[in-house]
Amino acid sequence: MEYDENGVSIVPADLKKEIFEEARKDFRYEEYVRGCLNCGVCTGGCPPHRFFDFSPRIVLQKMKSKDPELIWTMMDEYVWACFQCFTCAMICPFLNSPGGVIAILREIAVRRGFESAKKVLKPYSRVLLKLTAYGNQLSPDMIQPDFFPDWGPHIGYASTDLSVKRKAIPMPTLQVTNLAWDVAPETMKELYDIFDEAGVFKIIESVDPSLYEIIQDIVDDVRSS
Amino acid sequence: MAIEISNRLGLANVKSDFIHTAGRKLEDIHERLLELEAKGEVKVIHIKEENKPIEAETLLGWKKKIPTNKLWHHKSCGQCGNIPGYPVSLLWFMNQMGIEYVDERNQTSCTAWNYHGSGTSNPVGLAAVAVRNWHRAYELGLFPLFHCATTFGDYKEMRNLLVENKELRDEVRRIMHKIGRDLVIPEYIVHYSEWVHVMRFEIAKLKKYDLSSVIATVHPACHTYKMIPEDCIYDKDIYAGKRTAVSTGVMLALGAQVADYSTWYDCCGFGFRHILTEREASRSFVMDRKIRPMVREAHSDVCITQDTGCTTTLDKNQWIGKAMGYTEQVPVMADVMFAALVCGADVFKIVQLQWHTTDWRPLCEKIGIDWKKSEQEYNAYLEELKAGGKTVNLYEYPKS
Ligand code: SF4
Ligand code: SF4
Ligand code: SF4
Repeated sequence: MEYDENGVSIVPADLKKEIFEEARKDFRYEEYVRGCLNCGVCTGGCPPHRFFDFSPRIVLQKMKSKDPELIWTMMDEYVWACFQCFTCAMICPFLNSPGGVIAILREIAVRRGFESAKKVLKPYSRVLLKLTAYGNQLSPDMIQPDFFPDWGPHIGYASTDLSVKRKAIPMPTLQVTNLAWDVAPETMKELYDIFDEAGVFKIIESVDPSLYEIIQDIVDDVRSS
Repeated sequence: MAIEISNRLGLANVKSDFIHTAGRKLEDIHERLLELEAKGEVKVIHIKEENKPIEAETLLGWKKKIPTNKLWHHKSCGQCGNIPGYPVSLLWFMNQMGIEYVDERNQTSCTAWNYHGSGTSNPVGLAAVAVRNWHRAYELGLFPLFHCATTFGDYKEMRNLLVENKELRDEVRRIMHKIGRDLVIPEYIVHYSEWVHVMRFEIAKLKKYDLSSVIATVHPACHTYKMIPEDCIYDKDIYAGKRTAVSTGVMLALGAQVADYSTWYDCCGFGFRHILTEREASRSFVMDRKIRPMVREAHSDVCITQDTGCTTTLDKNQWIGKAMGYTEQVPVMADVMFAALVCGADVFKIVQLQWHTTDWRPLCEKIGIDWKKSEQEYNAYLEELKAGGKTVNLYEYPKS
């Protein structure tokens, strides 16, 4: 990518147009972008609006403008502020879904491996690994005091004698530490086939190639077991 | 009937004969699903007599059948990994009531937490994962019950997208055939909180403690009632039908006071990615928008949740509030956990409150629950297990 004298990337107008077309072609687009009153009800109820320079009203207005330049300005950190709570979708008088639009734009950002997406998702790779390779988003052994110091001293409880505490949970599926529940290998293999066929592995490769390699090693091991 | 307010604390116990009006034309996806089935386009997992359904009403007054028996537990990874008392409490109730179910290893997570956090999936991937799990329940002849609100929101959305889009159906069917499965869609997408809601009077029969002095604040989960809002239970006798009835319904049935607070509609601050990698936003939101209003406005003794992410976010982020001089604290647990607690389930072995970070002991003491005895027994049990003892399980895998 080329940069101007201020370090801002120079993005060809064609690419911006492509991005807009890609969003507009998504089969959910018509459902999510209807008319917009510019009333701001969505923004009034939007949680991250309180913390970040982010507004679902702006998201809808920019989409309605059909101006690729304006839409491009949201493709950096902007789209990553959304909490995906869908408060906006529930309260919008026009039944728009700014949160849904954000989901479409994020998909484009990761599919195309944009630097901003890579940066935002870097600290998230541990979770991505767990989910993609083992079929669970979170596992008990991930709750460690060094990852969650702000969760207070009691968080250490979860990491001492974990295996016996898990064994004491009266559901056999839960008596493991490295997964939320003991996912059967045959089940994981089905998930891998879905990820292959739906292009999910490819998306991860574009956003984090080294993580993708680690995942593929695990996938190969499970598949050959 | 005029509006009748009998709860000095708020609106939870307000009744109204107001009839819901849509004000907008939304199609009932359930009807369209049955049309597709009639055309042979999809298979439907029906709610049968043996599922002992109880009917409830949704936002627009549509009927929704909630199966109460012969269920397939679709677990939540966030609950199982981090709040184990959540699924255990649910299974405990089902055992008390003699309900048949299966809990097994043959289930994947819904992957929707990841999607909403990172964007690293797509509708085909999400819908295929959903159908894969639905099909597993189908082949066992059971009805799937979804534990996670995010799963609930996502699966409602996937069902709608599948019903509305032939291309998506064709693609998902192709993938299902590849893994030896088929395109099936449940007649209704049912969240565990809906099971708790329709079973609330049965649950209340098991109550062991007087809760008339307990003040609860309810945090309804966004992905329960804001995602596909028309498919969520409302009841004219609870909040006069103006807010979702789930969770509040069981608290009222148990005889607790449900108090109002000004930010009831706000999300918890989870943000899917924020809770893991941008926690300043999550924790500020937790304290400023949820915990402080609950304590200052409502003098809440307990915050009642109905989802994985909310329970985690609201519980784990109170300690750090002290850095800002915030002294407000309130224990957080799901509706089903609180219900189990007051119906005599063991604090440690069943409700598993030991994993929670915000102090829940004062709440137990207020209710009259001897948590110290429970702790001693649990510690002795851990020693037994360390010495090679066997777990006393609520459930054993079916012998296949
Ligand atoms: S879904 Fe996103 S844009 Fe909509 S209210 Fe929630 S955080 Fe704001
Ligand atoms: S998206 Fe909806 S709520 Fe937001 S400004 Fe437009 S019309 Fe108003
Ligand atoms: S929503 Fe999240 S926690 Fe719940 S099952 Fe899905 S991936 Fe797991």
